[in-house]
This record gives sequence, structure tokens and C-alpha cells, in this order.
Amino acid sequence: MIRRALQVGFSRGLLTRGLRTRSGGPFNDRDGKWAEFKKKLQVFWPGGSWEPFTDTSHLPPEHADVVIVGGGVIGWSVAYWLKRLEARKNALRVLVVEQDPTYSMASTGLSIGGIRQQFSLPQNIQLSLFSIEFLRNINEYLAVPDEPLLDIQFNPSGYLLLASEEKAAVMEHNVKIQRQEGAKVCLLSPKQLKDKFPWINTEGIALASYGLENEGWFDPWCLLQGLRRKALSMGVYHSHGKVVNLVSSVRSMMTSSGEQVDLKRIYEVHVKVDNSLECQPVECAIVINAAGAWSGEVAELAGIGIGSPGTLQGTRLPVEPRKRYVYVWHCPEGPGLEAPLLTDITGSYFRREGLGGYYLGGCSPMEEEEPDTKDLEVDHDFFQKKVWPYLAQRIPAFNSLKVRSAWAGFYDYNTFDQNGIVGPHPLVSNMYFATGFSGHGLQHAPGVGRAVAEVLLNGNFNTIDLNPFSFNRFYRGKKVLENNII
Amino acid sequence: MLKILTSTFMLIPLTWYSKKPWLWLNTTMHSFIISIWSLTLLYHDSDLGYNYNNYFSLDSLSGPLLILSCWLLPLMIIASQNHLAHEPLVRKKIYLTTLIILQLSLIMAFTASELIMFYILFETTLIPTLIIITRWGSQNERLNAGLYFLFYTLMGSLPLLVALLYLHNNLGSLHMLTMTLVAPTLDSSMSTSLLWYACMMAFMVKMPLYGLHLWLPKAHVEAPIAGSMVLAAILLKLGGYGIMRITAFTEPFTSTLCYPFMILSLWGMIMTSSICLRQTDLKSLIAYSSISHMGLVIIAALMQSPMGFMGATVLMVAHGLTSSMLFCLANTNYERTHSRTLILTRGLQMILPLMCAWWLLASLANLAQPPSINLLGELLVIMTSFSWSNFSLILLGTNTVITAVYSLYMLITSQRGKFTDHIYPIKPTLTREHMLMTLHLLPLLIISTCPKFILGVTY
Repeated sequence: MIRRALQVGFSRGLLTRGLRTRSGGPFNDRDGKWAEFKKKLQVFWPGGSWEPFTDTSHLPPEHADVVIVGGGVIGWSVAYWLKRLEARKNALRVLVVEQDPTYSMASTGLSIGGIRQQFSLPQNIQLSLFSIEFLRNINEYLAVPDEPLLDIQFNPSGYLLLASEEKAAVMEHNVKIQRQEGAKVCLLSPKQLKDKFPWINTEGIALASYGLENEGWFDPWCLLQGLRRKALSMGVYHSHGKVVNLVSSVRSMMTSSGEQVDLKRIYEVHVKVDNSLECQPVECAIVINAAGAWSGEVAELAGIGIGSPGTLQGTRLPVEPRKRYVYVWHCPEGPGLEAPLLTDITGSYFRREGLGGYYLGGCSPMEEEEPDTKDLEVDHDFFQKKVWPYLAQRIPAFNSLKVRSAWAGFYDYNTFDQNGIVGPHPLVSNMYFATGFSGHGLQHAPGVGRAVAEVLLNGNFNTIDLNPFSFNRFYRGKKVLENNII
Repeated sequence: MLKILTSTFMLIPLTWYSKKPWLWLNTTMHSFIISIWSLTLLYHDSDLGYNYNNYFSLDSLSGPLLILSCWLLPLMIIASQNHLAHEPLVRKKIYLTTLIILQLSLIMAFTASELIMFYILFETTLIPTLIIITRWGSQNERLNAGLYFLFYTLMGSLPLLVALLYLHNNLGSLHMLTMTLVAPTLDSSMSTSLLWYACMMAFMVKMPLYGLHLWLPKAHVEAPIAGSMVLAAILLKLGGYGIMRITAFTEPFTSTLCYPFMILSLWGMIMTSSICLRQTDLKSLIAYSSISHMGLVIIAALMQSPMGFMGATVLMVAHGLTSSMLFCLANTNYERTHSRTLILTRGLQMILPLMCAWWLLASLANLAQPPSINLLGELLVIMTSFSWSNFSLILLGTNTVITAVYSLYMLITSQRGKFTDHIYPIKPTLTREHMLMTLHLLPLLIISTCPKFILGVTY
């Protein structure tokens, strides 16, 4: 009210720009004016292309305290939480390096955006519980003054996981763990399932678990943009470029068994700018590997995995891209608005998309049939042979449907145990991982971001204990398996 | 005088003719020999000091400062070895030459007996420092820092030039010896006030005074280690030295005209000490701590009392060594983690315990722990300020407490607590670094046994 009154009263005077902006006067748009001046000068003084003060605003800063490799939802979540949990304002200089500003191949934008608490590991359940609380209150976390509020478009329709006779016991056990952690899940017998969802064909189903609350799907792009906008407003630097080199200082030491170990510390990140030959060295104290499907390549740049296999030196980061297809079809006779995200016993899944009778779904292929990851071309035969038959058997209404479109995206697939890798590397001491989530990275992004920020700033996990997800398990061979992988 | 000047000048051909493996050793050794010799200048048997010739003289005020600047050159060279290791040989030599030229101008500035010569050399020290900051600093902001540094100092010193020329015209000579005998015939008018402020501004900017201090955090943070050391230890003292010399000319007016500067200093000390508590960048914390200590020196120098001058001189020497040592310690952190943020390098006591000992001693010296000479200086300043006004005791007392708080905060955050995971494999402390710290601390401790050498002209 005061602002309006002031604007009415002083519309021509001091406050035409509102109460919070500050004009630099003649220094507004300094770079633009300098570029104009140079152009005018070139008319009178045409010379070579050498200029003493080149514009370097597109380059990343020469020094950053934390460099986050990867600008997807995990990378920006870590950046946001670092800025949020640092003890004093502007204590850390954080730089996020993203190689593709259009996010054309990034897993975040291509995700179907599901969130569920129906995991078998307590850590995964806790991460999802925190994430849903974050998403429900997203504007309390990520609102930026003078900018529109975020609408995450959360559809709380729940997940319905179906289990056959042999998997029923495991499912019951999992639901018990989920309930212990505080997730609201219920078990349904086939008859209850048929009563609740009459469009399901319950043949072959022994048990189903249905998430009653806090499960569903949301808009991943909105979450990414929200995190990005808020982190940028808190002073995070970002740069569009590819990390081509990680320079480290090495200390060779001998273990007690006589084996030589190289302790490394990365002190420089070389960022090659998009569409240009310029490569800027960024001096850094800490590097966070949140590169998603390409994390394995980034880890190799730091020398992780280069050594004789079986040693800690030679243990590589087992994250590689795996292509997954998502198909969108139209079926007017389909399940309707109440349909949850249903996961069949065969591994195929579907969910409702929008309100016009569209559905999307897919299936994780078997190990042997993994499609190649050169590009994101969609194989429509896969739908015909591997997805449609099973979905049509489970939901008879899907016998007649028309595929409208399809896309493919990468999972940052952890070939060891399909669970995330969070925490520092034992030998390259200042590289932290936040990758390898194999398809459930998006829904865990807020929780993982907070965990990485805690371990970086405090030295240990305060809220959710992600110690089982450390890199050491690859060397020790301890798999942390997740039973419910979609 | 020629013993110091010629030998320092000959360091330049020494750097250029040295072969690669001998470069650092030669320059360090020879500058160290010069500084050992300069220690003989500590002894002054008369009030008039040494008068070498018409242009150079040394008394018990400029003597300790000269020795401090000679002592710091080998220390700067030792500290710069690491960050210059990967540069080509010619660039290393250029860096050393810049340092030596800076050293030459500083030696001549402190021993200048004519005030105009002092002014010229005061300005001359700006150029090598600017080159060091803008060329060898490590971040983009260093251009901004160089600009601030250069233009703040130049703006302050232009009025000083005009004032000195007027005084020379008036008095016929600006020689230090004659200034006590000849007083300018000044009446208490506006032009005299302007003359007084013109004389003082350059030194106030240099000290720096609280309202004019913006250049200092920028310049200190962006400069490489040798730049920070020389800035904190010596260049700031040029300001204090200048105030003490030039106030001889403006005798009766200082007591009335000094009010704004006194108030700004008293308030500014507390402000900058409080800002230290909120700093996240280690070097920035030490830079603000420098401003706070120099505020005390301004108060003492403007008091014009015997105890004040003693306190100012002692504090200048003590702060030079302490602040330079703190910058070296911060640099050892920076070289290992490549970050200046305080929270990223915590718990170092477990990893580098000997370096923790140096951190402890430097922090204790910074917070004026007895029996160090920092305490001596602070006490003298507090006493003299109390004699000026009883209320200033509250402000000075508050400043002493806050100084202790931030020094201990810096110590505890960087040394105590659980160390962060990414620190454990850092390189252990090199002998060169231990030597650097010892060479800073040893003079500090030894002088505290017999501080009369640095108590200045009024002892």
C-alpha cells in the first residue's frame, strides 16, 4: 500500500523503479556501452582484431571454492544447499559448470518426474520423505523476491507396485521397512486391488503395495529452474562449458603392505567454453561430481580407476549412461484420473499424463537387451514387443491405444548396485560424488543436495545418514542393493 | 647509508645474472646479509641520530622502520618461492626486481631528510606495489583492487604536494633538522585548516583511517603473498611515519583540528574489529585487523604527546611483524587448499601441529598478549588517549576485547575442531615455512626483552 502510494506520488521522481532496485547511473550496462564504443572506434580506426581489454564475461571465474561439475537437478540442488547451509553469507564461492545449456540430453528434463517412498533401503525412503516435504513447501525454500512463485504441479496419485507370488514376501518386508520410516503405504490383496481399481486384470498378482500419501509425480523442469533461480540469486556462479581436465597434485605414499597409493588433490579444473577454443583454468578447493550419466568420464579425468584392478587405486566409478524409452499414448477408454503410477510384475510401468486420456510409460530392458547410448533415438519396436503386450495384459483397456510420441533419456546407471554414490573419494580427497542414482536421482535431489552440503561443511551427515552410499563399497564389494528398481 | 643503498641496488644485477638453481638462494642470502647489517642501526647515541649527508639521515623513529623493511625483504622472497615455482625464469626475475625496486624506494623514503624527497619516494612506492598486485595477484578482482589502491592514495597525496610546496616557499627549507627550529607563521584561519588537512590526508589514506579504508581489504586480499606482506608491514607505516614528521610543522593547530580524525579512528577501530568477526575470507579478516591496529597508531600519532609517539612507534614495528606473519600463515593454507575461505580449512591442529604452534603465537601477538611489544604499544596508546579524554577509554577497552575475540575466533576456526575430510592429505609443513615463521617471531620476542630500541624519539 505504501509502495503504491509512493508510486502515485512520486511517479516521475525518485521511485519509478521500485524500492529495491539500484541504478548505477552512467555505469548501467557498462559492458554494452563498451562494446558500442569499440564498434564506433573501429569505423575510424580499422585495425587488426587485437584488443587490449577483451570481454571475458562468458568465462567462468578464475577461482572458485567449490566447482560442481554438472548442472542438472542434483548439481543445482547441491549448489543451493551449500549456499543455504554455509555459516555466513558469501562464505563460499560456488561454480556450477554445465556442458549443455539446452539440457537436451540431461536426465533431469527427460525424466517422468515420479516420486515415491516405496524403496527397500531406509536411506532411500528417508530421502524421498524429505524430498516430498521440500516439494510440498517448495515456495518456502525456493521463493525469490519479485519473481513469480513456483508451481511444481504435483499429482499425488501414488505408486502402485504389483508383486507376483515369489516376490510377495519381499514386498511385505519392504512395506514394513517403509512404514517404520514413516511412509504411508498399504498392502492390497488381489481382491482389494480389483475393488479399488476395477480396470486392472489381477491375474498373476499376489500382492500390491499402494502409496497413500506423498507419492505421485511432478514437473522436473520446474524443480530444476526453481533451484537454479534461487541458487543464482544467492550468488552461485555458473558457466556453460565442458570440464576437459582436472589437474591435481599428487602425493605418493606406501601402505603398510608395501603397495603404492597416490593421494591426489585436485587444484584446477579446466573448463572448455561452448562453441569456442577457449579453455579457462578454474582454481578450486573442492570438486563435486554431479555429472549424471557422464560421471564416469569426469571421474576418469581425475584419475579414479586408473590402476590395477582389485586395488583401491584401480576401482573405477561404475556409473554409465543407460538409455530408457518413454512412450506417450492416447487411450480414451483408459483407467482415468485415479490411476496411480503402476508398476507391473514384468517391470513395465505407466502413468496418467494430463487430463485428456493420455498416458505415458515404458519398461526397463533386460541386461542383455540394453540399447546403445550413442544418441537418444527411440526404438518403437521396443514398445510393440516389450511394453505394450504386458501393459495390455494387465490393463485390458490398453488393448486399443495410439502412440502419439516417445522420447529417450539416460539413467546415470550404477552398474554395481543401482544406488547412488554420495560422499568423498578415499584417494582423490577433494572430489565428492553425488551421482549414480539409476533413475531415482530426481526424486532424491533435495535430500542428496543437503547431504552433500552437510558432509562438505561439517564433515559428517547430520540429517540423513548416507554413509552406506560411499565410494568405499566398490572396493570392499559390499553391495547396497535396492529391490524396487523401476 | 651507501652501505645499504648500494648493496640493495646491486641485488638487481644479482637476480639477473643468477642461474636458475641459485636464484632464490642468492637473493635471499644477500638481502639477509643486508638486513643483519642494518640491525646495527638500532643503536642511537644522540637525539639527533645519524646524519649521513644532506639528503639521508636516520633517527630513532626511522631507524626501526628501516630495519623492519630491510628485514622483510628476505622474508618476502622466501614466501614467494612456491607461487612463482611454475613461472618462467625471466618472470621470476622481474618479480624479484620489482620487489627490490620497492625496497629501494622504501629505504630511501624512511631515510629521507627532506620532506619533498620523502613525498617523491612515498609516491614511488606505489608503482612497484601496483605492478605486483595487478600482475601477480590471483583473481579477476585484482584489477579493481589495483585501481582502488592507486587512486585512493593519489587523491590523498595531491593536496599533500601542494601543502609541501607552500611550506617550502614559506620556510625556505623542509629539512627535518630545521623543522624543529623554524615554525611557519600560520594564523588560525580557514586556509590553515585546509593546509593542515591537506598535509594529513595522504597519510590518513595510507594508514588507513576508517572512512578511507576501502582500498585496503581489496588490495590485501588480491595481492600475492609478498605484496600483502609489504603492504601490511611497511607501506601502512609510511603513513604513520609521515604523520609524525609532518605534524612538526603544524604545531598549534593539531590539537584542535585533529578531532575528526581522532573520532573516526576511535570509532573505526571498533567497527573494523567487529567486521572481522563476520569475515569468511581469511586474508580479508587479517586485512581488517590491520586497519584496526592502525587506528590505534593514528590516535597515538595525533596526540603529539611523548607517550603517544612511543606507543605509535612500538605499535608500528610490532604490527608490522605480526601482520606479516599472519599473512604468511594464511598463505600456507592457501597454497595447500587453493581457497582462502576460513570454513574450508578447519581443524588443522590435528594435521599440521607445528604450524598450529605458529598460528597460536601469531594470534596471541595479534591480540596483544603480554609480554609482547604489541601489548606495550597498545598500553601506551591507551594511556595517552585516556589523558586526552576519559571517555575514549571505553572505546579503546571495547576494541581490545573485540580484538581478542576475533583473533581467538580465527585461531579456533582454523585450528581446532574436527577437520574436514578433504584436508587430510595436504602436504606437511616445509622447512622453508617454519623458517619464515621463526624469522618473523624471533625479532618480536627478542625485542620484547629490551624494547627501548624501538620506542622512538621521545624515549
